[in-house]
Amino acid sequence: MGDLDYVGKRILRKDGPEKVTGKAIYSVDIQLRGKLVGRILRSPHAHARILNIDTRRALQVPGVKSIITAKDTLGIKHGFVETPRYPADQYPLAMDKVRFVGEEVAAVAATDRYAADEALDLIEVEYEVLPAVFDPEEAMLSGAPEIHPTHPKVNEGLSNIGGKTTSVWGDVEAGFKEADYIREDRFESHLRTHGYLEPQATVASFESDGKLNVWTSSQGPFIKRAKLAKTLGLPQSSVRVKKAYVGGAFGGKIDLFSHEFCAALLSMKTSRPVEIIATREEIFTAYRHGQPLIVTVKTGVKKDGTIVAQQLKTINNSGAYRGSGVVVIFLAWGFTMAPYRVPNLKYDGYSVYTNNPIRTPQRGHGAPQLRFAVESQLDMIAEELGLDPMEIRLKNARESGEMLPNGDNVHNCGLKDCLLDIAKHTDFKNKFGSKQGKSGRFRKGIGVGVSSYFGGSLIYPNSSSVLVKMNDDGSVTLLTGAMDIGQGAETILSQIVAEELKIPMEEIQVVAADTETTPVDIGSWISGNAYVCGNAARVAAGDVREKLKALAARELEADTRDLVVKDKRVHVKGSPDRSLSYAHLVALSIQKHRGDPIIGNGHWRTMRDEPTHPSLASTKGRWTENYAFDAQTAEVEVDTETGKVKLLKAVTAHDCGFPINPMLVEGQIDGQISMALGHAFLEEVMMEEGRTLNPSWLDYRMPSIRDMANSEYIDIITEKYRIGKPYRTKEVGEGYVSAILAAIANAIYDAVGVRLFSTPFTPEKILRGLGKIK
Amino acid sequence: MSTNQKQLLELSINGESYELAVACQETLLEVLRNRLGLTGTKEGCGTGECGSCTVLLEGEPVLACLLLALDCENKQIETIEGQSLEGRMTPVQEAFLEKGAVQCGFCTPGMVMASTALLKRNPDPNEEDIMESLEGHLCRCTGYNKIMESVQHAAKSYPEKS
Repeated sequence: MGDLDYVGKRILRKDGPEKVTGKAIYSVDIQLRGKLVGRILRSPHAHARILNIDTRRALQVPGVKSIITAKDTLGIKHGFVETPRYPADQYPLAMDKVRFVGEEVAAVAATDRYAADEALDLIEVEYEVLPAVFDPEEAMLSGAPEIHPTHPKVNEGLSNIGGKTTSVWGDVEAGFKEADYIREDRFESHLRTHGYLEPQATVASFESDGKLNVWTSSQGPFIKRAKLAKTLGLPQSSVRVKKAYVGGAFGGKIDLFSHEFCAALLSMKTSRPVEIIATREEIFTAYRHGQPLIVTVKTGVKKDGTIVAQQLKTINNSGAYRGSGVVVIFLAWGFTMAPYRVPNLKYDGYSVYTNNPIRTPQRGHGAPQLRFAVESQLDMIAEELGLDPMEIRLKNARESGEMLPNGDNVHNCGLKDCLLDIAKHTDFKNKFGSKQGKSGRFRKGIGVGVSSYFGGSLIYPNSSSVLVKMNDDGSVTLLTGAMDIGQGAETILSQIVAEELKIPMEEIQVVAADTETTPVDIGSWISGNAYVCGNAARVAAGDVREKLKALAARELEADTRDLVVKDKRVHVKGSPDRSLSYAHLVALSIQKHRGDPIIGNGHWRTMRDEPTHPSLASTKGRWTENYAFDAQTAEVEVDTETGKVKLLKAVTAHDCGFPINPMLVEGQIDGQISMALGHAFLEEVMMEEGRTLNPSWLDYRMPSIRDMANSEYIDIITEKYRIGKPYRTKEVGEGYVSAILAAIANAIYDAVGVRLFSTPFTPEKILRGLGKIK
Repeated sequence: MSTNQKQLLELSINGESYELAVACQETLLEVLRNRLGLTGTKEGCGTGECGSCTVLLEGEPVLACLLLALDCENKQIETIEGQSLEGRMTPVQEAFLEKGAVQCGFCTPGMVMASTALLKRNPDPNEEDIMESLEGHLCRCTGYNKIMESVQHAAKSYPEKS
């Protein structure tokens, strides 16, 4: 149905001009008259009972308008997950106990931050310090200090179990019996953080009509509205979360944070706007970081490398509350079963409470940790069997149309093509294991990794809806609840509307991410924007197109099947003189259809026939129809004197379905390579007994422009975009941060023969592996 | 402790003159953002580690979060708001747009200001020059590839060159 003019093109960002000129308004930029500054008092203890809080002296500081503690709240708990099995477990302000250093105990609103900080110093809290535990394996032991009671359904004599995922596919014991070679290894990953540039920030303004307006740096306004309304005891109709640009999130700004609740409650108490902006030090010490996993993986293979059985155990350190711990242990199963055919698979994942700050998704949400383990082990197996790393991966890679253990169909799967093309592109066969570059101080190596990521799985609010309104001049307004966190949501949705209606990008106005004026949206996480919201936008624009065509058909006395849209007009195919402009058709519609101005309505939901999301406990239930695949290679140079590793080149062969905007796809890949590079070499949140030792960017080193990676891409396009037809475009925002980590580890082994079982890949570990230090 | 002693100060920002009373501890960033509503300059850390608050002082990039407003008297300050006067973008801004150097955009104003200063000083920078100018600027979205490309592209069309 005609050529594509807008999707698949390197179209410039809709929000670009505002952002390069400094006009884009972020939550930190919201200026309201009479705004107060809010600050939060945090626990200095990792585990303690709160005996008393005395705010009397603090309230006397000039400029202090209100101080809140748990007593001022309704005592309603919230959680990243709130299901019957995993009920909410955290109060917005600590009630009777604190369970991590930095837990929110009280909040102050004052006329300026000096007064607010002074008040914080004067709040007296009496604590009874309790024994604490920080290591997840220690916390699991019976007799460990109890942070929360172990989950009642996990009867294994363990402590502090927040949740467990168990999944069995096939018969793993029988599978291992069939195997010619079996090995078991343990891999550990370390604590990293998102490093979003815009701090966590919220401005809340409780208006005299009872409406609470909120601007907050987030990944989607609807979940924030739901959780604010619930914890504040307000109807959702009284809470409006309004759009502000978001200065990066990467998984770190999804669910409710205490500062959001406190800004709202302080505004309700004072009837003035209240702003809370976290300091960078607070973000490093008290906010939610990523999810290290301990992964034990046992794999059985045939002599030719065919995987016959795999058994995995993961342990997650969820911190003092569940956070996304029970999600990451569930997802880790998905990251195991998706890329390779594993006929017999057993998986147990444990989420364990510790007295650390809470953990939350970070880009990839468990995939980097999991793929690092599986892909490193696969290379070890290949070496034992005398197989090439590409060969063993090709042998086990899934193919189009395969059914996964959860009942999902991978539909179009480009993994084999990713592997074949990347091998050719990098001359892998000649480089890997070659003696060249293996002598002298600096040694070179190449490695490969594979990953798969799924998008748009059911999670509140589960679906996206989009409205497309025609304006009198034939331009359109696109209303979407989607939140552009930098990934380009507004741009790609506009491209889709532009394509379906053949209307220039400049003539599409976007109204986004406002719980009051825009329809519901799944949110900018779970990698669902292009697929879920994109399809909703496609349907809404298609609805408009069909309405325009129906009007034109009558007016031009033509069959709708003979009509095409082009240049904001409906044309009769093959008759250049017979056409009507959109502006004319809108006027006609208003005239002839009792004032109907033409509004298109679209909605989309992944797994539309599934009643609910899959079980976090058993993994049963369908997830999505949207699986992206990739193979990545890393070429490294290891300095055998210092142990320092340099990433010389990263290549990503990706099957992201259909790239709606190749420039944005590249930007996503580059950003993920960079984040993975930080994961591999630079970044670590150092914690001692729950206290962050390096709470600044000077001591937590994120990649700078000097660490820019040489990043190349190979597109394996497995989807077509056809106007008016559903598409299964896959995700590109999270999947490419994983395989590259394993590829780097495998490349280091190829260079110097040092196998790494934990991240980060520090000079110390390399030198120890080389036997140069003990 | 609140400090109430304030001093009258005249600031020249983007060619316009502002007179206001500021406290001795107020930073240039606080004055720009909170007093004058020039929120294009961002605060990522407040401790001089991320570069988001970069403005030009007498044409040189400085971190507004570390600079006291009182020390800026009688000096020319340029912020992102002064870059696209009369609605026309500068070659640096255009390059950032065209080459895809913008994602979340929070580091963008600082990056644009530092790149602009670089190209004024050195209209033909090599990769090392660009790295030296931007190494104090954190970006978490782009991996810097497209930022590097943008500055190189802007250099090609920089007016001083022709």
